[in-house]
Amino acid sequence: MSSNIYKNKKPLFFFLIPAFLFMLIFLYYPFIQNIFNSFQEIRGLGTAPMGWKDPWYSNFKTMWEDENMRIALKNTLIMILVTIVGQVGIALFLAILVDNVKHGSKFFRVVFFFPIVVSATALGLLFNLIFLYDKGMINQLLEVLGSKSLTDWKDETHAFMTMMIPVTWQYVGFYFIILVTGLNNISDELYEAAAIDGATTLQKVRFITIPLVHNVICTCVILAVTGALKVFDLPWVMFPKGMPFGQTWLTGTYMYYQVFNATDVDYSSAIAVLIVVLGIVLSKVVNKIFKEKDY
Amino acid sequence: MKKKKFQPGQIGAFALLSLWALTTIYPIFWVVLNSIKNRKIIVSDSFSLPIGEKFSMANYQLAFERLDIFGAYRNSLIISLSVAVVVILLAGMASYALVRYTFRGRSLLNSLVIAGMMFPVFATIIPVFQMMSKWGIVNTPDIWKSLLATALPQIAGNMSFAIVVLSGYIKGLPVELEEAAYMEGCNAFQIFSKVVMPLSKPSFATVGIFSFLWSYNDLFTQSFMLRGNQYGITRLLNELTSREGTNYGLMAAAVTLVVIPILIVYIFLQKYIIKGMTAGAVKG
Amino acid sequence: MKKKTLALVLTLAMAGSLAACGSNGGDATSNNDKSTSSNTSKSTSEEKDDKKSGGVSLNVTTTFGGNDTNQKNYQDAIAAWQDETSNIVNDSSATSDETFKARVAADFEVGSEPDVLFYFNGMDSNSFVEAGKVISVDEIRKEYPDYASNMNDDLLGASPVDGKNYSVPVNGYWEGMFVNKAVLEAAKVEIPDANTTWDEFMDICQKIKDAGYTPVAASLAQIPHYWFEFTIYNQLSPTTHNVLPKSVDDEHGKAWVAGIEDIKDMYDKGFFPENTLSGTDDETFQSFIDGKAAFLVDGSWKLGGIEEATDDIDNFTVTYVPAKGERKSTDIIGGLSSGYYITKKAWDDPEKREAAVNFVEYMTSNEMVTKFAQTSATALKDGADVDESTLSSLGKDGLAMIKGITGISGAVQDQIPTECRVPVFDGMPNLVTGKVQIPDAVTEVLTMIENYTPSEAAE
Repeated sequence: MSSNIYKNKKPLFFFLIPAFLFMLIFLYYPFIQNIFNSFQEIRGLGTAPMGWKDPWYSNFKTMWEDENMRIALKNTLIMILVTIVGQVGIALFLAILVDNVKHGSKFFRVVFFFPIVVSATALGLLFNLIFLYDKGMINQLLEVLGSKSLTDWKDETHAFMTMMIPVTWQYVGFYFIILVTGLNNISDELYEAAAIDGATTLQKVRFITIPLVHNVICTCVILAVTGALKVFDLPWVMFPKGMPFGQTWLTGTYMYYQVFNATDVDYSSAIAVLIVVLGIVLSKVVNKIFKEKDY
Repeated sequence: MKKKKFQPGQIGAFALLSLWALTTIYPIFWVVLNSIKNRKIIVSDSFSLPIGEKFSMANYQLAFERLDIFGAYRNSLIISLSVAVVVILLAGMASYALVRYTFRGRSLLNSLVIAGMMFPVFATIIPVFQMMSKWGIVNTPDIWKSLLATALPQIAGNMSFAIVVLSGYIKGLPVELEEAAYMEGCNAFQIFSKVVMPLSKPSFATVGIFSFLWSYNDLFTQSFMLRGNQYGITRLLNELTSREGTNYGLMAAAVTLVVIPILIVYIFLQKYIIKGMTAGAVKG
Repeated sequence: MKKKTLALVLTLAMAGSLAACGSNGGDATSNNDKSTSSNTSKSTSEEKDDKKSGGVSLNVTTTFGGNDTNQKNYQDAIAAWQDETSNIVNDSSATSDETFKARVAADFEVGSEPDVLFYFNGMDSNSFVEAGKVISVDEIRKEYPDYASNMNDDLLGASPVDGKNYSVPVNGYWEGMFVNKAVLEAAKVEIPDANTTWDEFMDICQKIKDAGYTPVAASLAQIPHYWFEFTIYNQLSPTTHNVLPKSVDDEHGKAWVAGIEDIKDMYDKGFFPENTLSGTDDETFQSFIDGKAAFLVDGSWKLGGIEEATDDIDNFTVTYVPAKGERKSTDIIGGLSSGYYITKKAWDDPEKREAAVNFVEYMTSNEMVTKFAQTSATALKDGADVDESTLSSLGKDGLAMIKGITGISGAVQDQIPTECRVPVFDGMPNLVTGKVQIPDAVTEVLTMIENYTPSEAAE
């Protein structure tokens, strides 16, 4: 698909250099330092390394043996699946609906954005009060409905679900907006032509909408995967320190915890390295899956 | 297209959308409600309406009395708008090149872009701070230098996300339009500015919204780069609300004050997310 | 939220200063504005100006930022000092949190540290003390013999690095047991006082539980460390509490194990909230405020939190944490864990040396310390003379409690590097439920401390 225009590579550098220069200086170079940090002994954020770890890879060895890290990885993988299906799926569904309603699409676009703008602290407080043991909104409702005992929505059996619902809900709006942007590119004429051929709504979605926003969906899935790997704010407010019993650790919250609570900065650097590697690998996989898919 | 007047599908769709809308409107409603409530009852009685004794403007009074809120708004807007504009422009150029040109190392650059999205800010801030200290733009009483010091890492931080989203969008643009422009004698730069940029307006708007939002909400970078009485709005409100025994009333007021400008920017940029731009263009 | 886990915020939230904060904050800010802008114009021309006094601009960083109860006092104080000396304070104070700490550390790292710093004197100061970037009180006294002469040297807060004093403290903290009186009335029990023994306290808790209330508000999952302090303190005494065990089998190791076992015992008896292993500290604190729980062990900084959260402050009081063993209940946990440092950078600058010393002396005068400290402990030789009329009833109770103390010890957790606390703090739910054996966890902490070798950088 590379056409004649793009045979001449000279402008390429002009296009690429500014953006990558920014990232080189403010992201890649610092992150290379972070990689070095993961092999050193560091006592506090901002303090100088005290020398190499002995053995130098000991943080990665610790990580391999760390029970919390294992839980975090497991939870994050589940989170990735839930975000892909839940967040991107619901967002796509909503976006298609909004694309199809005749009135109020502007209104929905604005209000679906709301959860993203409210800070995690405020949302965390809201959800904490909704799920509060004694007696939040849900437990009060259950009581009205005749429940005799209080349910602890944050105990071992419920915690993970109690965490997933708000997190999933919060970011639907984010993917929704990206998908709506993509859907805008599909001309009504295509749908009209399909309608004349007698296509049902479902068929239109399957054979027109999905293939045409294929790239955008792929973008969303990549964002969902990488987002799940680093999400921390809302889970952290609701379930600090992986409560209860470290059942709710995510890679993002665990890394944050290591920096700011355990102040094990070098270990957190090692976790950051792992998160980046996972992010790159998983997004490669996503790209591959989406490339192979032919419509 | 719009000939069928009454469809059951329409009603169903509308109902579902409204249902979701309820869940998204409620939290904002809840926050605003609690921001005008007596702060002592927010936690114990957070789902009631602020009427009578429960009503109180004290939270806002406190927020406005204490510190220079408008100055903080101004600083935040300067930072976040510059971040959004620079990100859109540079990321747009980079995405265009990454999508349209085939060259060696492209896949490596794509991986680097993904990686850039994953770097946690607390892993990168210390080296960045050290660099900026050498350049002399942090720890100075000069507000402009401090604003610059805040904006620069945020631009880099939002770049990856912007490139990922813009690439996905530009990939979907019909290359025929660019070829047509090429035939008419445009070079790559002109094609970018006259064909790709205008066609990608919706996507640019989306990226602009999120870059603005994240920069605006980025407390960590603000608290590192801004000193003393150099306040961004997030830092100011954090200073105000972060005392022991979290003051939820003040927090609700703070959230309301923070959210309003974002919503204004969002609604403004929404205008650019218009239906069927490429479709019209292809037709000529 | 982070703040609570920190438990190092050394500010006292007192009614008097609270009320004062709201009305005059604006003035302070505008003053501050002035100083910054005039400093901008000056700093360029001033470089090697040989003015002896006045006209020096001093970079100061403190934790008296944002909504700190002493923020107003601090702003007033620097404004007054500027007027008096015609020096200029270039203030970059901020609320103390982990970001702030990282910023201070990074400032020292890149050489842009302030001239005067008000900061913690425990482990948090180690990096810059080791690097020799702050001047010890002794060295300052060689030239200014009167420096901090109004303070009791033993209380200044010596650095963990070399036992020398580097900082001059202002106000300290104490830990005590807050009481929701209504709950105790409903359960028909008396408020524990200085004579209440541990066994009596357990009986009281049982009665409260039988009456359908939670005896002790605490989130063992998030903030177990107040109980960690006192239950271990109960096995020791003010003089021995602050010694780290060498092994799990020595006197202190055993004290730790026995202390945590007491927490487990209380947990097993159901004295903590039902969701103590899954709820946050905010939730358990609220249950205390709402009259569902009777007791809350917390720091002096919680006074302000309670005042802010309730409409009926008279319903709350504060008392000693009941004791057993050698410790008397009037032996409390407390201390002065921050103070003013003068950095080497300022000391080596002939222009700034005088101004920095003068500034610290001004900020730590008897009068100033009394104003900042309110009910908290101070290092003043003469003691603080607090005006009680500005205090709430809870504040007065706090003051009365302080007056009755027989012994004070710093928190032993401050001796443990943060990353080594994990097995007993964040691991507390595992300990009280028996998932992990207590001696094993203590051993793990001690091993971690042992591996936390002193830095090579300092040598």
